This record gives sequence, C-alpha cells and structure tokens, in this order.
Amino acid sequence: MSSAPDPSKGSLKGRLLVLGIASLLVFAVYAGHLFNLQIVENLIWEGKARDVARRSEVLPAQRGLIWDRNGDKPLALNIDSFAIQIIPAEISPSNPQELAEKLAPVLKMKSQSILDALPTNWRNSWNPVEIKNGVDYGTVVALAEASEDYPGLVWSSKPYRWYNSIGSISHLLGYVGNITAEELQLLYNEGYENTASLGKSGVERAYDGILRGTDGQSYRTVDVKGKELSDGGVIPPKNGLDIVLTIDRRIQTLAEKALGPRKGAMVVLKPATGEILAMVSYPSYDPNRFAEPGPGNFGALSLNTDFPFLNRAIQSGYAPASTFKLIMTAAILGENAIDPDIEVNCTGSMTLGNREFKCWKRSGHGLVDLEEALENSCNIYFGTVGVEELGIDVIAKYARAFGLGSPTGVALEGEVGGIVPGKTWKEEVYHSPWTGGDTLNASVGQGFLTVTPLQMANVLAGIANNGKIYRPRILKEVRDSVSGDLVERTEPELLRSIEYLEEEDYDYLQNAMRGVITEGTGEYVIYTDSVEIAGKTGTGEVGSEDRWHDWFVAYGPWKAENPEDQVVVVSIAEASENYDYWSPKATDLVFEGIFGGKTYEEVVAEWRSRRVWWSWDTIDLPYPGHPFQRPAPENEDEEE
Amino acid sequence: MNVDRQRSTTFLRLDIVLILSVVGLMALGIAFIYSSGVTSDGIQVSGEWVRQIIWSSTGLLLMAAFAMIDYRRWKQWVIPLYGIGILLLILVLVTGNYVKGARAWLGIGSVGVQPSEFMKLASILMLAWWFEERGRGIDGLRVWIGAFVITLIPMGLILLQPDLGTAIVYIPILFAMAFCAGVRWNLLLFPLLAGILMILGTLGYAWSEYITIAPSGFFRLFTEKRMISVALPSLLILTILALLGRWFFQRRSFSALAYIFGVLSTAYAGVMGAAKVLKGYQMMRLVVFLDPQTDPRGAGWNIIQSVTAIGSGGAFGKGYLQGTQSHYRYLPEQSTDFIFSILAEETGFVGSLFVFTLFAIIILRSLYIAYTAKDTFGSYTAVGIAAMMSFHVMQNIGMAIGVMPITGIPLFFLSYGGSSLWMALMCMGLLLSIHYRRHKI
Repeated sequence: MSSAPDPSKGSLKGRLLVLGIASLLVFAVYAGHLFNLQIVENLIWEGKARDVARRSEVLPAQRGLIWDRNGDKPLALNIDSFAIQIIPAEISPSNPQELAEKLAPVLKMKSQSILDALPTNWRNSWNPVEIKNGVDYGTVVALAEASEDYPGLVWSSKPYRWYNSIGSISHLLGYVGNITAEELQLLYNEGYENTASLGKSGVERAYDGILRGTDGQSYRTVDVKGKELSDGGVIPPKNGLDIVLTIDRRIQTLAEKALGPRKGAMVVLKPATGEILAMVSYPSYDPNRFAEPGPGNFGALSLNTDFPFLNRAIQSGYAPASTFKLIMTAAILGENAIDPDIEVNCTGSMTLGNREFKCWKRSGHGLVDLEEALENSCNIYFGTVGVEELGIDVIAKYARAFGLGSPTGVALEGEVGGIVPGKTWKEEVYHSPWTGGDTLNASVGQGFLTVTPLQMANVLAGIANNGKIYRPRILKEVRDSVSGDLVERTEPELLRSIEYLEEEDYDYLQNAMRGVITEGTGEYVIYTDSVEIAGKTGTGEVGSEDRWHDWFVAYGPWKAENPEDQVVVVSIAEASENYDYWSPKATDLVFEGIFGGKTYEEVVAEWRSRRVWWSWDTIDLPYPGHPFQRPAPENEDEEE
Repeated sequence: MNVDRQRSTTFLRLDIVLILSVVGLMALGIAFIYSSGVTSDGIQVSGEWVRQIIWSSTGLLLMAAFAMIDYRRWKQWVIPLYGIGILLLILVLVTGNYVKGARAWLGIGSVGVQPSEFMKLASILMLAWWFEERGRGIDGLRVWIGAFVITLIPMGLILLQPDLGTAIVYIPILFAMAFCAGVRWNLLLFPLLAGILMILGTLGYAWSEYITIAPSGFFRLFTEKRMISVALPSLLILTILALLGRWFFQRRSFSALAYIFGVLSTAYAGVMGAAKVLKGYQMMRLVVFLDPQTDPRGAGWNIIQSVTAIGSGGAFGKGYLQGTQSHYRYLPEQSTDFIFSILAEETGFVGSLFVFTLFAIIILRSLYIAYTAKDTFGSYTAVGIAAMMSFHVMQNIGMAIGVMPITGIPLFFLSYGGSSLWMALMCMGLLLSIHYRRHKI
C-alpha cells in the first residue's frame, strides 16, 4: 500500500530542510552561549567555583595587654577560653553515645545534651557542632592528650577580655565591645571590619590601634557537606602590642579607698613629667560584669542617675572655689597689682553696689596681707583686689595661662575644657553685660568659672614646676606582647610655660601654700608626717542650692631637691551631710600612703592609734571603686 | 584488502556515521558517569558506570535487532503497541513506585523501567502510521484532530504522574511530524499560538504568585472564580459569534476573528488549567528559571551550580576527573540530568562542541534518512525520532547552561539510565532499518 511513490517528495524535502536548519540554529545559539560562558566569562565562573568551595576563617589577633607602671600584673588581659566542637562524621567508627558518655564528665555536662547537639545524619555531617564554650585551658589540654579517645573532637580558641581587680580604674581602662554601624563608617578605611570589636572608652579606645593587632586568616577548600579537602594556606595574625600605663596600681587603690564612696574624683600626677599616677572617679563600673543582670548590668548603669560612666576627673566641670585663689595670687604677683605686704581689712563682709558679699568667716579675718589672705582663704581680700586692681581680663589671662578653659589634651575621650568667663563670653552666652559682681564671683572661684580636677592638677604642677606644665599622660610605654621588648616610650611633652611670673613669685606662692597647711585652713586636717606638702582648700557653692563641692589641691614635698620626687594630688568630693570637707582628709591619706609607703588600711590603723581627731567610726568604712556590685551603703550621698 | 564485495556493500548500506556518533556518545557517557562517581578523595563510590556498560552493550544488541527487522513490519503492530503502552501508563499510575515525586517507574524484580520512555517510540510509530494511512493530500481538520488525540492521551497520562518534562516531548514530536506530513499551516499554528500564549501566561502567573510582593491584578483573571465566570464565557461567545458570522455572511474576515478568539479562549483555559494543575515545586522551577537567584539555596541551586561548573571549565576544561564542582559534590544529579555539566567542566568548550557535533550529526542524519526513506511511514518515523532527539538535547543542555527551565529529562546516550538508553538505541535501530531498506521496493 505504500509502494506508490510519494507525490509530495519535493515538499517533504523543503520541510525537512526547515527542521534541519532550525535544529542547527539551536546548536549555534547554544554554542554561542557556551562560548560566552566558558571563554568570555571564564574567569568570573572560575572565581565563583573557587569561592563556593573555599571557606575562610578568621584567626583573631590577641589584643595587647594593659599593665600599670610596675609591670608585674596586667590590668587588662585576655582569658584563654575554648569552644569545644565535634565534627560528627569523624565520630565513626565509634558511636555518639560512647563519645558523649566519655566526654560528659570531662566537660561537666550531661551526655544527653551532647547527643542533642549532634545532627541526626551525623555520619554525613562535616560541619563542626559546638557543644560547649568557655572551657578552660587545662580541660582542653586534658582532652588533647587523650585525643584518640575522642574521635571528631576539635576546639577553637575564643579568648575574652578580663580586667583584673578593676576597682576605680575602669574609667581609665575603658572596655571593648562590638563595632557599631556608626563606628564602622568612620573606621572602615582603617581596616576595621563589621565583625570587629574595639575599645569603646578609656585606654582601650584611645590606644585601640596599638592594642588590636591585625587578624589573620586561614583558607581551606571544602565540599558541599563542609568536609575539608585541602589546606589553602594561612595568613598569620599579628598580635596587638602591650601598653604600660603611667598609673601606679598601688596609688590608684590608695586614692580609690581614700575617696571612698563619695561622688567625686581624685587625680595623682607627677608634675615633673605629666605622668598620671592615679585617676579615680566615683562611682565607677565593672566591665567584667556588664552582661550580668542586676545594678551592674550595662543597661542599668547607663540609666543610673549617678552617671557611673562619667569620668569626673576629666569630664566634669566644677567651680574651683577657693582653689582659684592660687591663680589670683599669681595674677597679683605677676601684675604687681598691689604690694603683697599691703593689708586689707576683712570685716566679714563687703558691699558692691547694692549687694552684700560675705567672707566665709563671718567675724572677719581682720587686717590680712596677700599671704595671710591665701592661707586663710579670705574672700574679702581677693574680692577687693580682684574688682579694684585686676579686673576680669587680667584674671582670665592668668587662668588661661595655667591651662584653665581648654582641655589638657590627655589621651582620653570626652575631656571637657571647663569655662573661663570674660566680657565677650558673657555677651555671647547670656546676652548681658559683664558686671562688677561677676568679677567678684570669679575672684573667689565662683560664678561662671568651671574647671576639671585634672586641670587643677595641672595648675598645681605649674606652681610646683615654676611655670612649666607638662601634658598629662597615661601611656608610659608600648611593649611587644611576646618578647616584652620596648617598642616606644612616651617622653614628657611641655604643654605650656607661664611667662608672666618670676622665680620669686613662685617662691612666694609655694611659701603661702605651705602656710595653708602649717597655719591656715589646712592646719587641723593635714596629719601626714611623711612629707611636707603645700596646698589649698576650696569649698564651692553650686548655684543657689545648698550643694558643696569640696576641694583640696596639694603637692609635696613642697620644696624638693629632685623635682621627680614631687607629686600633685587633687581631690574633689561632691559632698554633703556627714561627708563635708572630706577632700583634705583623702588627700592627706594619699600623701601619707605614697610617701610613708603604706596601704590605706595601714594609714588608717596608724592614725587611729594616734587618735586623729576625725573619727573613722562616724561613717561606714568606704566601699572603694564601683558601688553597684554590692548592697548600696545606707548613707550613700544623694543629690538633694 | 580483499573483502567480499556483497558483504561490503551490505555493510556499507548501514549508516556508519550514525553508528559511530552513537557509539562515541555512549563511550563519553560511560566515561563521565564514571567521573561523576568519583569523590573528592579520588575514590570511585558508585557502580553506575558498570551498569551503564551493561545497558550500553545490551542496548547495542537491541539496536542491531531493530536494524535487522524490516521497519514496515511495525505497521501491523502499532495499534497493539500503542494500546499496551497506554495500559502500562495507567498501570504505572496505579501501582508505580515513587521516584523523586513522580510515579514513573514500574518495578520488575529489582529492576525498574519507565514505560513513559518506551511510550514515546510507540507514539511516534502510531503517528507515522496515522499520517500515512490518511496520507494522501492530508490537510483535513479530522486528521489533525486525530493526531492530536493520539498525542494527548499518553501526554495526559504522563502529566498525571506527574512528569512535566517527559510529557512536553510529545509536543515537538507531534508538530514536526504533522509539519512534514503536510498539515496546513493555520491548523498547525492554532495550537502553537495558543500554547505560546499559555506558556507566557503561566510564567507571568507564577511570577506574580510566587515572586512579586504585590501580585498584578491582571493574573487574578486566572484564579478568581468571579473573574473566570465572566471572562471565559465572553471569550467563548465571541468565538461562536465570529463562527456564526462566517456562516451567515460568508466573509473571510469572520474566520480570522474566529481564529483569534479561538486562540485566546484556548490559551485562557490553558493558563487557568495550569494554575490549577501545576504543583508548587513545578511553579517554583519555572520561576527559578526566570531568576535563579530568587532561591539560590533551593530550586535555584541546581542552575547556579551547573552554570558555575560549565563556566569554570574554560576552553579546554579542567581535565578528566579533575572537575571541582562535580567532585566536591556541589553539582547535583551529576550522572543523570546534569551529565553535560560535568563533561563541560572537565573537557571545556572544545569537548562541549564535540558533543554538539555528534548530536548534530545524529539529528541531521535522521532527517536525511527521512528524506531518502522508501515510504512515508519511514519518513514520518525518522522525523518523529529526529524531533524527539532534538528536543531532548535542546532541553537538557539548555537546562545545564541555564537557558531552559529545569525539567528532569535525560540527555540521550550520555545520561545514566537504562530505559532512556534502550529506547534511544531502539530508535537508532529503527533509523538504520529505514536507511538500510531505502532502495528496496
């Protein structure tokens, strides 16, 4: 039936040709596409093929340690801690039950929780499963020595930052945390990555670049299940460098305990070099316990109305009060405003315009010259001379010469500069003209004037050094973390030198300050026998409220053969009620501790036996450092 | 060489080029099935390549047997063969084993067969017989509808398994055979246009349903009952009105209108059906084809890994057994659906072109055999085989290089699997038989 020749053979040929050409076209298009994939875009796909199989792992750099100047015990260190992991597929030919039962007692956990961590298809799973972290070094060593007994067990180092006997030094050291989006924007160009952790405040922040080092990386090739196929090489991490602070741990503790649980600050500084030996701010915090619930938790601390994160030594401006009379004395001497021997009669009050101005001694000091006025802190003398002879421009000139009104430039975040008021300043800020009353207030360190405790320490340093002020610093040395070799040592940096005063002016000032201790306002509060100090008291009013800032600034020995021996101590207590006038006592304790080579407890014990008049028993013994770890003391000072 | 002249001519009358291409592809297939079983440690973990050798050699015997049988004998067997095939497809739906979500396998002992593979050959023969039987000057609507029904029955049964990839192969077979059998272009075009519109509509529907956050209101036409109850009847009424107009006024313009509305309503019904019938994962495959990155870890994984493997092969490949994507097991289904990817990764552009050439030779040879065949049954059979081969190659390689959606259909001669290899070799045997008998009466 099909033997007849097909009539449409010709048209069949055409149609077959169409089909043939169509299929050839498809092949051509595919060949073109393949050419594009395999020849043109080859490098892209090769890269993707490599990427998909390549895993990189960060080898974290060890953060440098932070030491105090004694260099015997680190203040901040990294605690070795390990995460224990199991590569499930490597358990065979053993079985998970067996492994879990052997492992559980070593890791002090239940064998069931090890089994729960393993995936059901453990035979085929090459991705490590973490079963415990925070495991200490000793346990890991024990596991490593018997590694044949634990098939599939691996561990990785996960060190965490720990601050030793943290106390009040937390403000100085600061703490580390994970980088935020805002920080990343600023620091991206410096090589920070979005998983970086970095110093958030204090030394950790200021010297983050030195401490952090550079992370390394290890590459390996894995198959689709995560099984390692080849080692792709390692870029070793560069560990961070160690930092040695100028802080003396002994003095820091001494000052911390001397200040006790009083809101305020203490600064101990070496005037000859600008090295800060101690810096205390109360209340402080404990970064080791940020994560724990309770009042020491980071969130709770942030909301605390006592502002524990505030480093009062550099971040708070206080009225300098009578301590400003040191600047006034310098101005009188430098300007030869009046003969220091001319006496002013203090009747206990004076009148300026329609305002009555009182001396702290209501009965009056009688006839006082400059030295007596400073020793007894006579407001009438300095008010009269300030208004009648100096004027605000001269006062401000000397205040600025001693470094008030501008930050000292210590390498810590958030330092404030304080305020040195003037005529234009008041116009700009208050839109009202400068008055004689303003000058009177400034003359006794009140009114618009504010200074930080560190600035006051610098003023003292300037007086003790005959006009030379070094930049306060906390970094003493940078050392290699492994070898301990010195990498860098910071040198004293002259911050300013005061040109308006002669040698004999400084002698006069130092003498007068010694007089404050021997026959002035400090006479009955300073008991130390170990060193002859010179200083100045100050009691600051804050606005119209009944709040007192209680200052004591001093240096000693007041006459030193070797300026290196001299130490400046500045103390301020935001005191009230039974803590009034604590600062001289705290300062006294610190000097006795430093120069007598005693601890706080030893000083207290000795002075108790000497029956020093101020009773230790009227108040609870101070809780040093951060108060939020224990029940709050009953009479913790509160703002009124 | 002193060779028996008679034997030599007999031998030469076999299509040597076709046989060499087929054997060459099978050898490559075994080599790369072997490669696919090698792990990253260089250990062969799969016995697939041994089984493929067994299937290849038995398949070659089958091919020889089919070459020796006079292809015209099949004419008297087409109806029983087709009937048995349909029965098997029904059987597989009832008792078949589930493999990868589809009931496509009939278990006989430990060996499984896929009736749908062999049904393709039975359908080709059935269609060739149908077109030849109604052959003279076929342009009639009834012949076309008959061929359509012959195709749609197995197609529908396979769709029920559900195996979209295998079902779709019937479409190019039907159209290529009908085209060569001289079915009028407007008849061919009607389902073609409706089909294209349907596919576009389904893709758009899948996109708006699974990807876009704000689905386009347009596609509610296919899912909301209220919309359907208005849209579908109105399209149908328009079609009927146009047909009535044609009948009353005897104007050709009305038949054009009827044609257009007919296409539209068919496509509409089709998209509606697809939206109902297609499973979530099938929709996802369509969508993933449009944009593999929508689901890089899930359905998009295959396409991305395959294209990465191929692209990273470069001009000359990474070398036999040296592929990384394949041996690190990133490439899925390496021995079956994605055999071309491992080949292209390890032999590069050059190797891929070589495979293209072999397939092109086979397809062009089939068309040539269709041309030289003694009768139309032979011609149509060869065209059907050529269409099936082309579609498989186009679909499978297109999927591997990322220009076609993923449908798990094998690449003949290369992919691991007995059913499809045997079926392909039977087809080759048929072609050889047609070729061998081209000069006989």
